[in-house]
This record gives sequence, C-alpha cells and structure tokens, in this order.
Amino acid sequence: MFDKKLVSELHKIVGKDAVLISREDLNAYSYDGTATWTHLPDVVVLPTTADQVSQILKLADENRIPVTPRGAGTNVSGGSIPIKGGVVLCTTRMNKILDINKTNMTAIVEPGVVLHDFNIALAKQGLFYPPDPQSFLGCTVGGTVAENAGGPYCVKYGVTKQYVLGLEVVLANGYIMKLGGVTVKNRTGYELTMLFTGSEGTLGVITKITLRLIPMPPASKTMMAIFDDMVVGGQAVSNILASGVVPAKIEFVDNFVLRRIEEMTPMGLPVDAKALLLLQADGSPAAVEAESQQIVDILKKSGAKEVKVAKDASEAAMYWKMRSAGFAATFSAAHTVLAEDVAVPRDKLAEFIQKLDEISTRTGFFICYLGHAGDGNLHPSIFTDMRNKEEFARAQQAMEEIFEAALSVGGVLSGEHGIGLEKQRFLKRAMDPVALNLMRKIKALLDPNHILNPGKIWEEERV
Amino acid sequence: MAKSKQDRYEQIKRFESDLSQCMKCGFCTFWCPVYQEERLEPSVARGKNMMIRGLLAGDLEYTKEYAQRLNKCTLCMTCTANCPAKANIPNVIVAARADTVKARGLKFPYNIVYRWLLPRRTLFGRVVRFASWFQGIFLPKTEGTVRHLSMFLSALGKGRNIPQIAPRFLRQSVSVVNKTPKGVETTMTVGYFTGCMTDFVFPELGKHIIDFLTRNGVEVIVPREQGCCGAPVFLGAGDFDTGRKMADTNVKAFEGLDYVISDCATCTSSLKDYNKFLADTPERKEAYTKFAGRILDISQFLVDVLKLPASAYKPSAEAKGKKVTWHDPCHLNRHLGITSQPRQIIKSIPDIEYVEMPNADRCCGMAGSFSMYYYDLSKQIADKKVEAIKSTGADIVASSCPGCEIQLIDSLLRNKVPVKVMHIMELLA
Repeated sequence: MFDKKLVSELHKIVGKDAVLISREDLNAYSYDGTATWTHLPDVVVLPTTADQVSQILKLADENRIPVTPRGAGTNVSGGSIPIKGGVVLCTTRMNKILDINKTNMTAIVEPGVVLHDFNIALAKQGLFYPPDPQSFLGCTVGGTVAENAGGPYCVKYGVTKQYVLGLEVVLANGYIMKLGGVTVKNRTGYELTMLFTGSEGTLGVITKITLRLIPMPPASKTMMAIFDDMVVGGQAVSNILASGVVPAKIEFVDNFVLRRIEEMTPMGLPVDAKALLLLQADGSPAAVEAESQQIVDILKKSGAKEVKVAKDASEAAMYWKMRSAGFAATFSAAHTVLAEDVAVPRDKLAEFIQKLDEISTRTGFFICYLGHAGDGNLHPSIFTDMRNKEEFARAQQAMEEIFEAALSVGGVLSGEHGIGLEKQRFLKRAMDPVALNLMRKIKALLDPNHILNPGKIWEEERV
Repeated sequence: MAKSKQDRYEQIKRFESDLSQCMKCGFCTFWCPVYQEERLEPSVARGKNMMIRGLLAGDLEYTKEYAQRLNKCTLCMTCTANCPAKANIPNVIVAARADTVKARGLKFPYNIVYRWLLPRRTLFGRVVRFASWFQGIFLPKTEGTVRHLSMFLSALGKGRNIPQIAPRFLRQSVSVVNKTPKGVETTMTVGYFTGCMTDFVFPELGKHIIDFLTRNGVEVIVPREQGCCGAPVFLGAGDFDTGRKMADTNVKAFEGLDYVISDCATCTSSLKDYNKFLADTPERKEAYTKFAGRILDISQFLVDVLKLPASAYKPSAEAKGKKVTWHDPCHLNRHLGITSQPRQIIKSIPDIEYVEMPNADRCCGMAGSFSMYYYDLSKQIADKKVEAIKSTGADIVASSCPGCEIQLIDSLLRNKVPVKVMHIMELLA
C-alpha cells in the first residue's frame, strides 16, 4: 500500500480527481501495447501543467519513488509499464495545442495531444506533420517524441527527431528546463533537445514541444505491387531507391498478414501473393505523375507479378487501411506475439529477408513480417505462448537470432519502438561499451536517484 | 455453498472470444466518447476489457469500484466499429454486468425499479402518472417529447429538462386493432411495439404513427400485454433474470404477427438482442431468434418492406419549409446498421431541406442508466453533439430514439440553442 501521506500530498498538487489509487484503476495502467509485460503502479497521477509535473517529481525525488511517464500507453516496447511500481505520471490531460504558426511553419503542443487530433488541426490550415507511427489514433505527441517514433512516411520525410525544434522538460529535481527554440536552424551549444528526444522517459518529463511542420503535399498516388517471392520484393525496394526516386512510403506486407487482414475485414485482397508492397508518391501533381510512372516501371522490371495503381482516393484509403490493420492482424494471431523492430541498411533488405527465411527453417518458428521496407525497418514477428515456458524460451532464442542477423548486415536493434523492456537484454551487444557507459553517466547526472522510468533501456546495474 | 468459478463468470465466459480478441493497441481511445471527455484508461474499451481479464485472473474482485467502472460505458459500439481486431468489448461489458449483478445483487433503488416496476406495465403506468403530478412542482417543464421511467426518476432532482408526462398514455388512447380507413386497401398487418417512452410521454407520436401506417394500408395491432423492452434491465443493469421475464412477455404478446415495428432504436436493438444475451435454454433460443427476425425499425419498415413511393412522404405542418438534420442513434446505426433508410425518407420529403451534420453517428451520451449514474459526463458528451447540430444551421434535428431525443432536448435547452427535436415520423404529415 502506498504511503497515505504521499497520496494526500499528490491530492494537494493535482486535486483528488487526478489521483487514482483503486486496484481497478491501477490495473488499467499496468500494461502497454506489448504482450509480455505488466506491472501495477502504486498510484496514477494526471497533471495538467508543467508546474504540477515539477511538484510531483520533487515529491518523488525526495522520497525516492519511481516515476513512469506515460502518454496513451500505445507503445510497443514496454516503455510505459511501471515495472518498479511507484507513480505513473500520465500526460493525457495535458492535451492543448498551444500554437499553430502557418508562416513560421511551426506548432507548439502539450505532450498529451493525440497525434491524429494534431494532424486534423493542421490539415485545416494546409499543414502536415509527417511522422506517423501506426498508433496515431491513440498515441500522444509527447510519447512519440519520448520514443522518437517513426512510421511509413519516414522514408521520405524522416522520423520524429527531424521535426523537434524545442522542448520544455521537467528534470528529476523538479526544474522546468527550456531547450531549443522555434527556429529551423539553431546552433547554440550541444543538441540537448535531441538528448531528450528518444530518451524514453528516463531523463525528464516532456511538458511542451515545438515542432517543425511542412505544407500538406497537394497530390498523392498509391500503388500496390504483388510478388511471388519475398526476396524479389525486397530487391524491388532497393531498386526503386537506387533509381533516384524517393516515394513517401514503401510498406511491406507478407502473405500471412495479408490473409489475416482479409479474414478480419474482407476487402478483396490477393491472398495468394507471397509479398505485397504498398507505395505512395506525393508532391505536386506533375511530380506525382512522373514519379509514380517511374515506380511502376521499376516494380515491373524487378519482377512484380502485378502492379495496381489506386484509381481514386477511396481505393488508396482502402489500401492504407489494410496496412494499418496489420498490427491487429499480427498481434491477435497468437497468445504471445514477439515482434522485433530491427532496421537494416536499405540495400541489404533482400539479404536480410533471406536470412529470416533460414532462421525460420532452422528454429521451426514461423516468422511473419510487416513493416516499413522503404527505410529497412521490418517487424519480424514470432507467434508463441508465454504460458508454455519451454516453447517461449525457444521463441526468445529465435528472436535473438533475428537480431544477430540484422546486426550482421549492419542493422540496428530498434528502428522506431525504442528499447524499453523488450530489447534491453540485447543492448550491450548492439552498442559500443564506451557509448553505453556514457549514456549511464548522463542518466546518473540528470537523475541521480534513478526515479525516472527505472528498469528501462539498460539492464539492472547502476553506475 | 460457495459458488464455483464457472458460475461466478458464467456470462463473461460466453463472450471469451471477444475478451481475448483485444490486443491492446489503444485505437479505441480515439473513438470512445467517455474517454474523449475523461482521458482515463479505465473509461475506454481496452481498460475495461483488461479489468475484466483481471477479474478472471483473480487479480480483481467484484467490488463497488469494479461495478462503477463497468457502468461507465454508453455501449455506443464506436470502439468495435473502428477496432482493427473487431473486438466487441460492449458484449463483454454487458456480460460482465450480468455476472456482477449475480455476485453483488442490485442496489436500492434500482432493484425496486428494475425487478419490480418495469416488468409490470400497468403499475409502472400508475407510478409514472403519480410522479407526473409533482413534475410541475419540482422540475422545469419543457415542450417536446420523452421515454423511460427509470430515466424520468433519475432526472428528478438533477435539474434535467424533462418533457412533460402525457395526460393520457398511448395505451389508454388507442385500440388494440387499428384498421385502415375506409377506401384504403389493407396490404399487411403489423404489431406495434410502443416502448415506455412513446406510451407514457410521447403518445401523440404513437397515434401519429398508427395514423400514418393505416392511411398507407397497414393494419396496426397494439397488444396490451407488451411491456418494457428490457434494455435498462438486462443491458444497463445486467439483470438477466428479470430481462428474461420481460423478453418472454414481449415474445408472447406479439405471437402470430409477421412484423413487429418500433419507433425507438434502443427498443428495436434490445428486442433483437434477446437471443444474444438472454437465451439460456434451447426453447428460448429458438423463440428469441424467431422474434428477432420479425423486428423492424419504423424507417426500415417504410423503406425496405412497405416500399412507399416518395409521394407518400409529405411534410408535417411543423416541418414544412424547414432545414432538417439527422442524428444517428447508436442503436440504429452501429447496432443495427440502419443509416440510409432514415436519410432516404427525410430527403424524399418535399419542402424540407436536408443537411448532414458532422459526426452524425457520434453518441449523444444518453445511454439510459449511464446518464443516471454519470449525468455530468453525459452532459459533456452531449455538448459536442450540440456543437455539431449548431454548425449545420438546421431548424430541426430529427432522430428515432426517444432516449436520444430527451438528451437532445435537454442539451439544446441547456445551451440555449433554438433547434427543435423531432422524431423522424413527426416530420411526416
């Protein structure tokens, strides 16, 4: 039971309605989008101002209480799970869009703004914020910054960090620090804004975000290519990128996911296809016309069995709806789904897919994938059941092989989900030990009492 | 003797596939009207589903807090309609409510209202009549039309604008058999399920519907034995035992009729839901399934069965020359999939300008007993609906669920928006 005195202190800071302590409420903050991790917090706090966040952190720091920052809990790394109990600091009620500046092409938002709400508001002014994790309906902008999230649009437009111009961060000791600004260029000292972008809630709590925007592309075209062979599909992606055209999105769906989607929501998909690529060209109408023609030509030359060009917006929307159903299709396929988030160099995609095939044959686990082929970020997934200890251990072993395969072609551990709890046991092998040590020192400097999202990123063992 | 685990989770177990279908993506947060106001995880489908899983895992108990969180759902089905995994969490919630009632019992005064009053139509009528004598003293009277006793009682003392209880109930004003007028050939006979609200609060609407149908060649039977559809009892409160009694009463009352029409989306959907939730024996399963096949919403009946020509739709005096918008009741839209028929009718009426409101299918926040437990929250949800109605510049907002209509009347008055609320059938002469 959490100290009653601390609860009453929290009441004083945020009011009674914003402090949850019943077992039923705590249960609702014990999970995220992953299948394998849950842990109950002792208390959930929903602040509405940076000042409240500051007071909460001061209180927690003085009392050495773990604080796990959380947005909407749609992350898939275990990052927002309060693995050490303590306080879940939930930002969903800090959800005001403070400013949209069409001339400066920037916006200032609170962390709890839902990504899709943000893009709806921007669209009214002809503006666009590209990073599009597929959880956009639920995820908060604060969460996407803390995880440095990406999505399909990142092939052409880059990930979250390419858009963060400034942050307001509350440090573990309660200090409200301002970083960066509202200018596109800013060469003032170290890039501390980037230190907090992708810090997974371990260095501070983000309370305000300044983002760079781009104009909404006036035209777009969606294409779908069907392949008989996944490796050929992977090679086609490399061929497109080598040809000098950069599509806005290149997504990869394998046969298993395709069938699952069609099963869940029938929409007439080619269920015999071994692999399917979804591509989008965007920009001015003339450029879209030329680029999409070029893409279609390369796809055909690269061995696509069939290439379809969506004839209108509704057909295009149907294709993308299919892609966004991919997560559900994968995660509802088994009791426990282990989903990897490796990213490989884009010219190594076909080679990597070949290796996945070999791992599948060797370990006997079926591996399905779905992901952002255009930036080499696949999500190979293994279906298992964590209740079966022996099988689960073998599944984790297979996962390790996938990760080794990615590293062997020059890839990285996580493309966009972050380390969280899911990937921490691999971190040592994926990073230069000196760099890892430096990260620990930075953590110790900013959060000497280790109250912020403890138990994440690195395995237990303090500096 | 202690109840076995199986008994404790009897209903939830029936919907285990829905329970396990959720893979916690959290997309439902965007669609849930309750989450959108509260921004709390226990409010949304994912949170409720995980709470129910927690109960099954033995981590949670049938506590008051558990029951309260289960109640905090409008069953609007927007989560399911937009769920990538098509997880029907509202099914699980209704089932969990039923198990909770078994475990905890119904609390006063709901036990009196649900178990004793709603199933007894005549007595229910007397209580409503009795309560109406005090309406003018305790409550602001409003003009317009309303529907449920439980809602009516709940609104007492909460400052809601309640339409006046009718001086004469529908059952007291019409015959059991209503024949077509002289010179009009009878093409079919239908049963009319009047629902509590039309019976007690909007009898003029009921009379008008009977008049409209008979003029168009439909003989209308209004069985006296019919009662409340049971929505507040089995869907809202989870009292399946009483729900079965009410279901059996209604099935029997409409025996031998090919079609049973209803002017209330909630009633229509609930009558069709008997099989899903209440069929505990093969006999009931058969009877409820057959019954469900005969239930039709009024707009669906006019368009799909009666196939009235556009010329049959003429504007009523109140609607003539007016701009009209349509509010989709959740029970009509997502529960029954009826969206085009009412729009087709309104668009067919000459001298009426139809305008679609933004998010016409968004829940209004009424949801029967939900608004009883969470009136403030219900008002917040309704205020978004009011904004949408206002943005159309319409003179009239039409719907076909008296529950929604009460909510719209109350919310528009509270926000001082001079838009009239009408049942779709009131648009027709």
